[in-house]
Amino acid sequence: MRSGFPRFPRTLLRALLPRAERDEVLAELEIEYAQRAASHGTRAAGRWAWRQAVHSAPALMRWSWWRGWSGFEPRANAYRPGGNLLKHWLTDARYATRRLRARPGYTILAVLTLALGIGGTAAVFGIARPLILDPLPYANADRVAFFWRPGWWNEEEYTYLRDKFPGYQRVAFYRPADVTMRDGDAPTRLLVGISSSWDLFDVLGARPMLGRTFRSGEDVPGAEPVVVVSYGLWRELGGTPAVIGQRITLDGTPRTVVGVMPRGFWFPDPAVRIWQAQPINPTGRNGSYALVGLMNPGLTVDRMGPHVAALVKTISERFKYGENGDKTKDAWVKPLRTELLGKMTPAVVATFTAMALILLIACVNVAALMLGQVEGRSTELSVRAALGATLGRITQQLLIEAVVVGLLAGIVGAGLAFVGFRILAQSLPIGVWAESARFDWTMFAAALAIALAASLVVASVPLFSLWRHGNLRGALSGGRTGGIQGRGGRLERGLVVAEVALAMLIASGAALLVRSVTNLYSIDPGVRTTGVAVVDVLSSRSLDGNLRVRKITEAVDALKTMPGVRSVAASMRLPLLGGGNSWSTVTEGRPASDAVFTYFRMVSVDYFETMGMRLIQGRLFDQTDINAAADSTSREMTVVINEELVKKLFPGQNPIGQRLVGSFRYPQRIIGVVNTVAEGALTDKPEATTYYLDRRAWFGSGGSFVIRTTRPEDAASVLDNARRTIQRVAPEFAVQGVTTMDRVFDKAVGPARQIMSLLTLLSGLALVLGAIGIYGVISHFAARRRRDWAIRVALGLPGSRVITHIVRQGLVLALMGIAVGAIAAAALTRLLSTFLYGVSSVDPIAFAGASGALIAIGVLAAFVPARRAGTVDPARVLREQ
Amino acid sequence: MSDDLAPLGALEEQILVAVLRSRDDAYGMEVRREIERVTGRELAIGAVYATLDRLEAKGLLNSGRAFGHGPSRRRFALSARGARALADTRAMRERLWQGVDLRRLLSLARA
Repeated sequence: MRSGFPRFPRTLLRALLPRAERDEVLAELEIEYAQRAASHGTRAAGRWAWRQAVHSAPALMRWSWWRGWSGFEPRANAYRPGGNLLKHWLTDARYATRRLRARPGYTILAVLTLALGIGGTAAVFGIARPLILDPLPYANADRVAFFWRPGWWNEEEYTYLRDKFPGYQRVAFYRPADVTMRDGDAPTRLLVGISSSWDLFDVLGARPMLGRTFRSGEDVPGAEPVVVVSYGLWRELGGTPAVIGQRITLDGTPRTVVGVMPRGFWFPDPAVRIWQAQPINPTGRNGSYALVGLMNPGLTVDRMGPHVAALVKTISERFKYGENGDKTKDAWVKPLRTELLGKMTPAVVATFTAMALILLIACVNVAALMLGQVEGRSTELSVRAALGATLGRITQQLLIEAVVVGLLAGIVGAGLAFVGFRILAQSLPIGVWAESARFDWTMFAAALAIALAASLVVASVPLFSLWRHGNLRGALSGGRTGGIQGRGGRLERGLVVAEVALAMLIASGAALLVRSVTNLYSIDPGVRTTGVAVVDVLSSRSLDGNLRVRKITEAVDALKTMPGVRSVAASMRLPLLGGGNSWSTVTEGRPASDAVFTYFRMVSVDYFETMGMRLIQGRLFDQTDINAAADSTSREMTVVINEELVKKLFPGQNPIGQRLVGSFRYPQRIIGVVNTVAEGALTDKPEATTYYLDRRAWFGSGGSFVIRTTRPEDAASVLDNARRTIQRVAPEFAVQGVTTMDRVFDKAVGPARQIMSLLTLLSGLALVLGAIGIYGVISHFAARRRRDWAIRVALGLPGSRVITHIVRQGLVLALMGIAVGAIAAAALTRLLSTFLYGVSSVDPIAFAGASGALIAIGVLAAFVPARRAGTVDPARVLREQ
Repeated sequence: MSDDLAPLGALEEQILVAVLRSRDDAYGMEVRREIERVTGRELAIGAVYATLDRLEAKGLLNSGRAFGHGPSRRRFALSARGARALADTRAMRERLWQGVDLRRLLSLARA
């Protein structure tokens, strides 16, 4: 009928009216429209039609909702039931809710299983997002690249090369420079900071929120000292525009705040709160700078090769390097993102993968549960099919049931994500990044999105089994027996195999890390880490050399008087922190080409004893060395060296009494040899080290006090007292942090440990889920074949044979899963290779361990239903059916 | 009994009365037109249908279809329960109006 009734109102009403009545109502409306058009004109009638539709819509939507939920169907519509789509969905949702309420065991298991996967994945997402997904807060992020050997460049090199970087618009350099800040009478505070050339912010393409960044000429010696502060520090300073131009006292020197960076800006990590312009000394050879450059437009890191080669040529023409620290070797540039985020990316990716696998296992589990439910409901579904339900209608109903389970799991999962997020943020090696990872609504949204996706995956399995037959009758005409050996059991069995394979993947990853960490812990760091407390301090740069040494001595003496303390010492740098402070040294009278790389450490007199190092030969520092050091007329220093240096410089000779030269003005006489200590990273090869007494020179401004306690377990408990003592005796030192050597050692073992604990946790979860899966499928299988077993037992088969048979089924499934999982694991554990130490990524012991655990779990999970089937009374079962 | 019935809403009452007035021809559109004719105000068909359905679910109306020639419409009739509810509502209204001075009301309205 073509009545001229406007199209949109017609479509809207058609969509909202119940099926049985929409035609008659529309016909009436069209008649009335025609009458109105005749009497009042087409436009008035059109307006009327629109008003009808628009005013009807809310009432009809409320009505659909109510009908869907109440299930009310008027008698008059008995032969044409049904409403619009919304009503159908609601009816199905209500039906699903009723069904789920009637089977609390199934519901709780399905919801909890899925919630574990969803919650974990959402939590990992919350952490991974700022690391992997969020854009970096720099406009030029894609064009900025780091130079090789960050932290190795010096001022002389930079000054020489500054305008000679081929392929770069501009290159900035910076180094970490933590500063103490004194604000009125408040105790000195430590600020994590960066000291850079003036153009750092221009290279990054970062604009300040207030004021300006550095200007050309502010990084030359004698320039007015200026700083840019972070948003957080600006808030602490008052949070007003008046902060710009204000002078704050840093390291005892007043500096002017010229700019405030916007909220969310960080470089090179979120802990940094202050950036100062570094006065560059054109002849400075102190090498601890990183170079970061803005590439010319159109260039990418991949296409920098020729430019890097040209730069290396320029460098090699001007500078000569020894064996270590040769900057003409291994030259390459690294994208900004890789340099800033690269270290934790593998950890996050490994965790993310593990979590996704857990989610998959959970989905498979719930799918298997649901498949069992569908088979258990075959009578009901057959009746519905006989009454006219189509495959599409039943599909919709199953889907909605899965979505209801998914939504419930999403809500529970969001709660779990909140808890899991905190645990993950603390246990993942993301350090300060934990601060930028926040739990917010996006994580809740992620949980729900994952839940919906998961429920679709879950529903697809039973739907596949229904659709496979093409029609309902075929799908539903199951026999009474069947199950795992019979028709239809194959899908269920496949699911369990997949699940065990996934569990195997996670478990073998965890086992590899366990082995790796065990290896790391069995490395001897050379010091006795237990029972040593550590207080890291930073001295104000205004503290001049002699005064600083006196203050250190006073602090050491005061710390010694604390109860429970055996010995105290100070050192410029502790072992296991990854190197730093090195130079080359050579025996007196030998050519400079014989010089070897050596770490140097300024220590106080009881250092070796406090750290538990062993004297191999000669003697340790004592009062005579202190006196000699204090004597300004002395033309010689004393030094203690380690065994590694003896091997390099004095093979087969007695080093005691020999003299070393290099770097210091005076030669250094060797008085003793101590064992080699891991001064660099834990897994580094042994490196030569020289130890000097702190009297003559204390390099840099940072250092640590080490305190060995009488009882090893007291190390942590003396820390508070130690901190107060230092603040009282030597307030010029800002206490930067307190820790114990055990903790330092744990950190040196590194992210592998945290990832191990995390993956162990996750593989525990995977094993539990795997067990639930095997248990679910085997008990379903055993229950379906109860009648078979009963007949056989009645005919004389012993119950123990039934148990063996069913357990064997479980075992076969587990073995198949393990085989598949092992192959996948061999390919995937490569992800972990950066964390592995002393173990191959296809380590047989780790794989055997994981397989063993899964076999045990599989047999145990199968045994419970097997025992139930084996001890059943056949007479009762046969009467039941 | 009528005491288990919630009091009728204004639209519910109007619709029940309209069904009563339309006698044998009480289908959705006719009910709508009847109310529009009496009140002079336009009414959306959706609101009428939703209310008719709710009244049937409450047992105040019955609906059915006549099979045979011509278009089959869902027609509504008051149930005994619906009749009681309407009578109760009217009785209540009359009690409410008893003793009200209509002349005073009209004079107030005129002022």
